[in-house]
Amino acid sequence: MLQSKAFMKKTRRGQVVKVVREHYLRDDISCGAIFCQSCEKESACLSSSAPNILIVDTNVTLHHIDLLENNAIDDVVILSVVLEEVKNRNLSVYNRIRALCSNPMRRFFVFANEHHKDTFVKTMPGESPNDRNDRAIRSASLWYQKHLGQGPPILLLTNDIENKRKALQEGICTETVQSYVESLGRPELFDLVAQVCDSSLAEMDIEDSRPSKKKLIYPEHRPMSEITSGLQQRIFHQGKLRVNRYNPIEAYVNSESIDEEIIIYGRINMNRAFEGDVVAVELLPEDQWKEGNTLKLIEDEEDEVEEKVGLAPDSVDAAPTSLQAKPGDFGSKIGSRTCGRVVGIIKRNWHSYCGSLEPMPMPAGVGGAVNALFVASDRRIPKIRIQTRQLGNLLDKRILVAVDSWDISLRYPLGHYVKTIGDIGDRATESEVLMIENDINNRPFSEQVLACLPPLPWSVSQDDLKCNYREDIRHIRVFSVDPPGMYQIREANQMIEEFMLAANISVAEKILKHYPLCALLRRHPIPTPKMLEPLIRTAAAVGVKLDITSSKSLADSLDNALGNNDPYFNKLIRILATRCMTQAVYFSSGELTPPEYYHYGLAAALYTHFTSPIRRYADVIVHRLLAAALGLFKLPAVFHDKVQLNSLADNLNFRHRNAQMASRASVELHTLIYFRNRPTDAEARIVKIRSNGFIVFVPKFGIEGPVYLTPKAKDNNGEESCKNSADWIVDEEQQRISTRDGKRVYMVLDVVHVHIEVIEPQPNRSKLVLTLLK
Amino acid sequence: MVVGLSAAERRYLTDGIAQGLRNDGRGLYDFRAFSVELAIIPQANGSARVRLGATDVITSVKAELGRPQASRPSQGRVEINIECSSTAAPQFEGRGGEDLSLELSRALYRSLLCNNGTGPAIDLSALTVIEGKLCWNLFIDGLVLSSDGNLLDVLAIAVKAALSNTGIPKVEVTSAAAAEQEADFEISDNPDDFSGFDVSHVPVIITLTKVGRTYIVDATEEEESQMSSAISIAVNSAGHVCGITKRGGAGLDPSVLLDMISVAKEVSKSLLSTVDAEIMAAESRGDDQM
Amino acid sequence: MALEFISPEGLRLDGRRPAEIRQLRANLGVIDKADGSATFEMGNTKVIAAVYGPHEVQNRSQQLLDQALVKCEYSMANFSTGDRRRKQKGDRRSVEISLVIRQSMEAAIMTHLLPRTQIDIFVHVLQADGGTRSACINAASLALADAGIPMRDIVASCASGYLNNTPLLDLNYLEDSGGGPDVTIALLPKLDKITLLQMDAKLPLEMFEKVFELGNKGCVAIANYMRNVLLENTKDLAFARGVVKV
Repeated sequence: MLQSKAFMKKTRRGQVVKVVREHYLRDDISCGAIFCQSCEKESACLSSSAPNILIVDTNVTLHHIDLLENNAIDDVVILSVVLEEVKNRNLSVYNRIRALCSNPMRRFFVFANEHHKDTFVKTMPGESPNDRNDRAIRSASLWYQKHLGQGPPILLLTNDIENKRKALQEGICTETVQSYVESLGRPELFDLVAQVCDSSLAEMDIEDSRPSKKKLIYPEHRPMSEITSGLQQRIFHQGKLRVNRYNPIEAYVNSESIDEEIIIYGRINMNRAFEGDVVAVELLPEDQWKEGNTLKLIEDEEDEVEEKVGLAPDSVDAAPTSLQAKPGDFGSKIGSRTCGRVVGIIKRNWHSYCGSLEPMPMPAGVGGAVNALFVASDRRIPKIRIQTRQLGNLLDKRILVAVDSWDISLRYPLGHYVKTIGDIGDRATESEVLMIENDINNRPFSEQVLACLPPLPWSVSQDDLKCNYREDIRHIRVFSVDPPGMYQIREANQMIEEFMLAANISVAEKILKHYPLCALLRRHPIPTPKMLEPLIRTAAAVGVKLDITSSKSLADSLDNALGNNDPYFNKLIRILATRCMTQAVYFSSGELTPPEYYHYGLAAALYTHFTSPIRRYADVIVHRLLAAALGLFKLPAVFHDKVQLNSLADNLNFRHRNAQMASRASVELHTLIYFRNRPTDAEARIVKIRSNGFIVFVPKFGIEGPVYLTPKAKDNNGEESCKNSADWIVDEEQQRISTRDGKRVYMVLDVVHVHIEVIEPQPNRSKLVLTLLK
Repeated sequence: MVVGLSAAERRYLTDGIAQGLRNDGRGLYDFRAFSVELAIIPQANGSARVRLGATDVITSVKAELGRPQASRPSQGRVEINIECSSTAAPQFEGRGGEDLSLELSRALYRSLLCNNGTGPAIDLSALTVIEGKLCWNLFIDGLVLSSDGNLLDVLAIAVKAALSNTGIPKVEVTSAAAAEQEADFEISDNPDDFSGFDVSHVPVIITLTKVGRTYIVDATEEEESQMSSAISIAVNSAGHVCGITKRGGAGLDPSVLLDMISVAKEVSKSLLSTVDAEIMAAESRGDDQM
Repeated sequence: MALEFISPEGLRLDGRRPAEIRQLRANLGVIDKADGSATFEMGNTKVIAAVYGPHEVQNRSQQLLDQALVKCEYSMANFSTGDRRRKQKGDRRSVEISLVIRQSMEAAIMTHLLPRTQIDIFVHVLQADGGTRSACINAASLALADAGIPMRDIVASCASGYLNNTPLLDLNYLEDSGGGPDVTIALLPKLDKITLLQMDAKLPLEMFEKVFELGNKGCVAIANYMRNVLLENTKDLAFARGVVKV
């Protein structure tokens, strides 16, 4: 059976075209029930012993994916119309629901209702796409009800009042998610139910729902049509919101439509936008730009401006770019910069966050639902209000929480509990937290992956020996130079590194020669003079002249920057140099021109990663390219697909960066644990001068952090006073800070003594603090 | 078009016409029966296929957004382009059909829009979206698939039918505030949200073909091969003459011309009502299929 | 994200399974004046073909003494694609397709039986939604049969491709623009001879085999359909002439 779908589409060039597509309806689409007498059963999974067979609508899938992922929910039919809508609205939820459907341990079945001859519905004149899709969901539910008459009852889950009403009218069993979960009698599931401020569900309104008391805290987001036209007219600017890691009530938006970075100051101006959201921003009138500094503390006194103590970046890859470093500057002047406010959110970046509940007394009575505030370990994330029936279990735990909604009348967003990670402060729990935070999958390999390996015990077979692309080198003595305590072979080490670089370079040359358009290479962009400016300024301040004409000349002048009998001087200059550079990245050779292939850090025209396939996936890819270049294997299909290859390179870079962040976070965690009961005094070096202090590096522990010269006193109004400008004079050029009377002077690279200790300014969130010792 | 007629056949045909009797049994001013199908090109905004005898044409209307001409800020533009497919006759192969295609395109344009493009047949101001900034332009494409004479009249019917089938998508203007601003718009979510087209003023064309001393309407290819001259007269439902095109080589006596116009006006009345009836029938057939 | 051309449930965007052809439709004798004509539809792709001949060779210098001269012209209607464009006759693409159609037809026509004659094949694309080459060949083949031109076998054509690691039969425009390879085959099914093979984009040999095999199966299925259409048409003609009674 054939249906034709026609719709109007606006093209990128501003034209309206009519698109006509065929739409075939079939009679061979399986219902997915194992007990069905008539349908094909190859992929069937819905069981006859289920209490219900559930059909969920789009919003239930979008908002309650955490609930669906819980093992208690099974025998679910996911309609293709729902999948399509979810895909358009939230790709990450789409991937999660797809994963559920393909998981053989779960019983989620995708029913292609849009192509089934009995469940397809045609849009009626005047019917909106939403109404049409709701009707399609009901039509499929009704079909299931008839089709599986003998099996478990079909239950449609929807929170849409209108859809529910129509479904009941048409004779479909239907319930809201809340009532269904309650009917299961499993209180632990209740925490998973998303808290959506859904106007159509009055009973769902939580918190202070008394209408008279409903006070608007945030401005409304502008309607999408207004935003689109505002962007067009450049009244609004679109960009990704990045929240200052050290001062979460300050955020930045870079937009293509405006040269400068826009600062969003304060929660009201951020208007419920989260880190990573794509937002539309309106510039504030210029006279308000200067008020930025005074705004901050009136609004949200519990968030304080601080700079975190962390590890010094020790490699090119770990060095933040100048752009990333900028937001971290404390005491930076806001007055002179462009300020704006968020008027709408174009794309949410909501996901699950690790953290813990704010300590609160246990309420009287047992088992009831309690509102609690969740504090994410990522400081950029605002507190999230959740409802729980297991407060006692959660208070001392690290938990995962997902955000559901943020109403203009609510100070904090609403969310729901997803899972418990473990006890707060526990080393394993905290390690798990940072894995999750950096999106690192540390689950064991799946059965499918392990099935790719040869069975154990494994030995070299005759076939292996006969294989023409393998060589038996067991007669050659091979040894490792890693074992602990073997410091004396440092030189051998170094030699190995040189061999490794040479191998990587020659492999890069070989694969590029054979596959000029799809070789996976690694490049390190040449830093611009502007990026190196802070380095040159600092070096000049201490009397070192750096030659930045090439990476070689820079390396040479770094080698010569020895200082006077100062063992750390050179190391410090090098640390400063690395953080001026961008990261090295993987890329496909077809995407760039040969001059751009250059690896600045290694001063190599070509470079790739080849030597460590057992620990780096990039090397596996390069091995495959090399094998194909040598004619041993066919070139895998992915290399023919430009789009796929680029996304592979992007993913490698993304994972690489995440792994580095996680590794840094892990060292920071252990540093914190180390100093927890061990306040220490140590020698430190000043690496950067700031208006109210400086940043020091502690060579002994490899940590870096701010030292404040002016104590953060709170005045009568609870506002912080920044008297630094009165007491201290900063000389940017000379990189020095001194008192007015000139009695105390600090210069970059000076040695100072600091006290290191762990404090807990907020519960469950300890931090390392450096204070100056006289 | 070359129709190979023997001397005897020629004589039979011309003598018959002189006596008011045509080869296929029609009278001098009778049209052949024709059929109309609508919406046969789904990608187009409107389309029609008209078959009259063995003459078979398809017309489509495509609406595109554009900037109005500076001289006419509140009007859209219409282009008409006819193509004679080589499937209709081997003579149309390569560039063989170009002359005829051009002649037909121009004659239709004149009848519908006058030479200056502002003719009353189509309400061009209805095509404006934002005055001076955004308007719909209509591209009318005709394709002659098979030809057995009287192409122009059939094409005119097909254009009228295609326009009656045309839906212009509703657009919502989202920004047009400042004069300098580029106009921006959104398409309505609802695929049924179209504005239709008033075709009551679109004329039909009656071509009177002179064979010997007599003139006939709706000449077949055979008859056209014996014509001395022809005159195509566009007449609308109000009985107004909208355009006249003289074709063919031989001269025409002015006194006959006025006579021909009055015949055309007479014939147009019944033709217009048949066209309207056929379009309506085609519409209701289309609705049944839905 | 790259477009998902086949869902994990095994359905293509339009609801077909990978090895399914779109809905076929064909009509014979659609142009009265032509000696043979046909329309052929593969889904939303629709073409019309007319055959004139065998007739005298127009340009005497091209006359062949031992066989018929076959000429072919391919053109596209202005309204055949979503974006309206003036389609100029005789651009390089049209000339190439004209040539391709002529060559595949010449392989089937028994040209040696019609020396000193000319056969004109005209194909016009009315709607383009992928696979126009194949549809043109199928229409031309039916028009030739309708014209009663002696042929060794019917020529049936079908395209196949490879997307999301799956061989797909009879790509529509959306799938055609998916960036995968596109293999067009024309087959003389009874003789089991390929008269046309075109592929763009590269494809490893073992995948090509699969895609080619699928395309071949598509051709056979289309040939069966065409044979039925011809059979029905002959029955209708015989009935109309009173040769057979129902």
